[in-house]
Amino acid sequence: MGPKKAAAGDILQGTLDMLILRTLVTGPAHGHTIAQVIERTSENALEVEQGSLYPALHRLEDRSLLESEWGISDNNRKAKFYRLTPQGRKELIAVTGRWRHMIRAISLILGEASE
Amino acid sequence: MHLQRFMHRRRKDADLAEEMSAHLAFEEDANTARGLQPKEAHRQARLRFGNPQTTREQVWRYRSIPWLDDIARDLRFVIRSLAKTPGFSIIAILVIAVGIGVNTAVFSVINTVLLKPLSYPDPQALVQLMNSGPRGSFPGANVPKYNIWRKQTSVFQQVAGYDFGGAGLNLTGGDHPQQVQGIHVTSDYFAMFGAPLIIGRSFTAAEDSPNGGRNVVLSYSLWKSRFGGNPNIVGTPIQIDNQPYLVVGVVGRSFVTDPVGDLWLPFQFDPNSHDMAHYFTVAARLKSGITIQQANAQLKLTAEQYQREYGGAPASQEGFSVISLQESIIGDTRYSLFILFGAVIFVLLIACANVANLLLARASVRKREFATRAALGAGRAQIIRQLLTESLALSLTGGLLGLIVGFVGLRLLLNVSPGGIPRLGEDGSAVTLDAHILIFTLGISVLTGILFGLVPAISASRTNLAATLNESSSRSGLGLRSGKIRSGLVVTEMALALILVIGAGLLIRTYLKLQAVDPGFETHNVLTMAMSISGDRFQKSANVDQIIRDGTDRLKALPGVANAAAGCCLPLVGGFGVPFDIVGRPKGANRSTGGAGYYSVSGNYFDVFRIPVLRGRVFTDRDNAASPNVVMINETMAKQYWPNGDPLKDRLLTGVGMGPIFAEPARQIIGIVGDTHDGALNETPRPTMYFPVAQMPDAETALNSRVAPLWWAIRTKGDPHDVVASITAALRDATGGLPVAHVLTMDEIVLHTTARQRFNMLLLIIFGASGLLMAAIGVYGLMAYSVQQRTQEIGIRMALGAQASSLRNMVIRQGMTLALLGVAVGIAGAFWLTRLLASLLFGVTAWDPAAFLATPFLLTAVALLAIWIPARLATDIDPMTALRSE
Repeated sequence: MGPKKAAAGDILQGTLDMLILRTLVTGPAHGHTIAQVIERTSENALEVEQGSLYPALHRLEDRSLLESEWGISDNNRKAKFYRLTPQGRKELIAVTGRWRHMIRAISLILGEASE
Repeated sequence: MHLQRFMHRRRKDADLAEEMSAHLAFEEDANTARGLQPKEAHRQARLRFGNPQTTREQVWRYRSIPWLDDIARDLRFVIRSLAKTPGFSIIAILVIAVGIGVNTAVFSVINTVLLKPLSYPDPQALVQLMNSGPRGSFPGANVPKYNIWRKQTSVFQQVAGYDFGGAGLNLTGGDHPQQVQGIHVTSDYFAMFGAPLIIGRSFTAAEDSPNGGRNVVLSYSLWKSRFGGNPNIVGTPIQIDNQPYLVVGVVGRSFVTDPVGDLWLPFQFDPNSHDMAHYFTVAARLKSGITIQQANAQLKLTAEQYQREYGGAPASQEGFSVISLQESIIGDTRYSLFILFGAVIFVLLIACANVANLLLARASVRKREFATRAALGAGRAQIIRQLLTESLALSLTGGLLGLIVGFVGLRLLLNVSPGGIPRLGEDGSAVTLDAHILIFTLGISVLTGILFGLVPAISASRTNLAATLNESSSRSGLGLRSGKIRSGLVVTEMALALILVIGAGLLIRTYLKLQAVDPGFETHNVLTMAMSISGDRFQKSANVDQIIRDGTDRLKALPGVANAAAGCCLPLVGGFGVPFDIVGRPKGANRSTGGAGYYSVSGNYFDVFRIPVLRGRVFTDRDNAASPNVVMINETMAKQYWPNGDPLKDRLLTGVGMGPIFAEPARQIIGIVGDTHDGALNETPRPTMYFPVAQMPDAETALNSRVAPLWWAIRTKGDPHDVVASITAALRDATGGLPVAHVLTMDEIVLHTTARQRFNMLLLIIFGASGLLMAAIGVYGLMAYSVQQRTQEIGIRMALGAQASSLRNMVIRQGMTLALLGVAVGIAGAFWLTRLLASLLFGVTAWDPAAFLATPFLLTAVALLAIWIPARLATDIDPMTALRSE
């Protein structure tokens, strides 16, 4: 199976939520696209487990961070499209900020900070 | 939010499933695009996705509310398990339905009569003014009292007087004269009750004064029925007693009064009157912030003022007070309703004991089921929860059914027997299903579910795991403990049922005693009817005497009529009371304080009612205005005031101290007649005086004509109902077109006077019978179960040669021990409880030996029957089958 990939599910739960929100900044997308975009953008370092993806999407929707709507995809298939809500956008900014903070903190501890 | 997620999860799950299958399709597309074969593309996509079911479950679980899910699961399980034993479930539900049904029925009456506020704005502030004295309080007022009360503006916002429309009025001026209830009211009446006037206005103060003109306010129903809802009715003259009256307003349909009125007239009494007769009542609205206590304190002072100014008897310690209007309307109904409520709670307790017993029996059969569940990891709490869910499912179903049973049953009962209970409306129409009743029934269902479910649940959850699973059969019960509980429940049931049946027995005896009371007159074949003579025409005694003569002459000529009489009053319908003095005796010791009944009647009265003349004579046509005044008295009066002397030698002075209109010369006592029951059958006859109508002072007649109708009494040769038409027609002809109302036979009036007792008795019989039936089912169930449990033992005994009869006796002995124990406890309880019934009883004591002997006998017999069947079954057991029943 090649080099060991980190499954998104292995990372903190909040991370997958953040990645989904980030993916949707560029526009609405359905679950399959979201998974592909995350995988491709991470140069296949992160493989999104479908089993985690859908619970995450529904959870985000229940928290009103996402909205969904059934629509037709590029290849003429019926699919459920997710879109960021204004609240989702705010949340993305907040969690990204926290994430950056954390990376910096961890980097400091590891002594790899390059200010 | 959480709950919303929970509610919509089924739809969302379907959504998710579809979404995931779309995802798989995309993946397949991508795989195909990479050049894979369709089959492989599908396989790879599946493989990559993992198990969609797991994902769905994960989302589902996140959307669920654990305890709600648990309940739903328990409920499904419970319904399955109850459906498995339909016989048990149906009996349990029916028993609960009866228990809850009777409670709902009685509560709905209590709700209507006692709990619902009166339908006026701010009803708590409405009070009834009372005359209070050492012998209790009574409502009623005369003009001086009304004047004093009306001045108490520091405590009352409004004060209004009204009469009871007793005389009735005749709506004339059409083809069909009609008698209506016209209530005289003072000008504050409508404002005080917040009456909604849909057209026009109420009376002004000027209209409510002597010579204030003839004005009238119509009720909604009269406006609709008699005047076709004419919107231009205000200002239209209508004819009342052949006089033109002007309609000034119409009140809305929602305005309900006690008494019910068809129309209202201004009272118009002379404010300077010193008339001491109490012929109306007074209600008031308290100023906001004033309590009943404060009002009473103020009224205490006014009573002193009244005595100073009008010389009421200070010795009588008469005072004034107020009670809430609702209280005054409810009267003593409260007590009998509470008694009935107590009785139905007994029925419910019996039902609970019964179902608890059934559940215990069932639980012992299901012991292995619980043990298995426990072995599979179910905790005690879970088993208790499941069993409580089970009992709640039963009680709620039973409650729902009980709501229907109780409500429909009550409607039927109220239709059959209107017991003269205030506020119930025509045929109980005011009893409606409302939120109170629904909450009550729901509450009582939950409570009973817990009550009868808890003991079996706890008892079942205590099961010893290993012992049970090792036991070879389902034969063993829940052990000694549960057996004792079950026996205890049966004893309780028997005891409660016995108390109920004794209570019913006492009321039955009361009713029979009432039926057996000799009313002092012959009730059969007497027709009675009321005629309003309220117009100006009948202000003079001579005129009233004249229409009585004309009427009775005309009636006596009719075929089928034996005799006819008329007067102010009828036996059982009751009359007035006035004080009297015996001429020549010193005041004091022999002066009447309560007064004597005071009847003005035609001479035929005693013949029509067949009231025996004990001494002297009855009055005749010759006892007229020109001849010396005479009076007749009843036996009670003769015995009470002339224990040794001869009343026929004495003369009476009546109405002393009651004001100028009652002043009259002394009357010679000319005859003594037998007593009649005039208040009610359960009241002892009071001293009574009879006067010839022609010899009444005119002023009294004018007052009488105004406040009470003239009653006609006709003795018929056959069934009174046959001659109603000819009699009413003859009376209309004889009186110049006056209609009659309240056409009733005397038998019907007797029936009415005992309606309340009959209603109470009927209810208690129903409660007692259902309690007894349930107790019998309880005993039967316990014994049948015990026989079934001991099949093997009995088989062995029979195999060893035991006689069938001795086995039967063993079962009977066992059952009867419990039943008799219950009877003994019940008798003790009944001795303690039946004294609460005392005020509802007549002619029997609360410890009536007949009821206390007959009831235990009845209960024992019923129990014996219930035990005999299982005892028979015991000996039908085939020893071989029994031994193999392992």
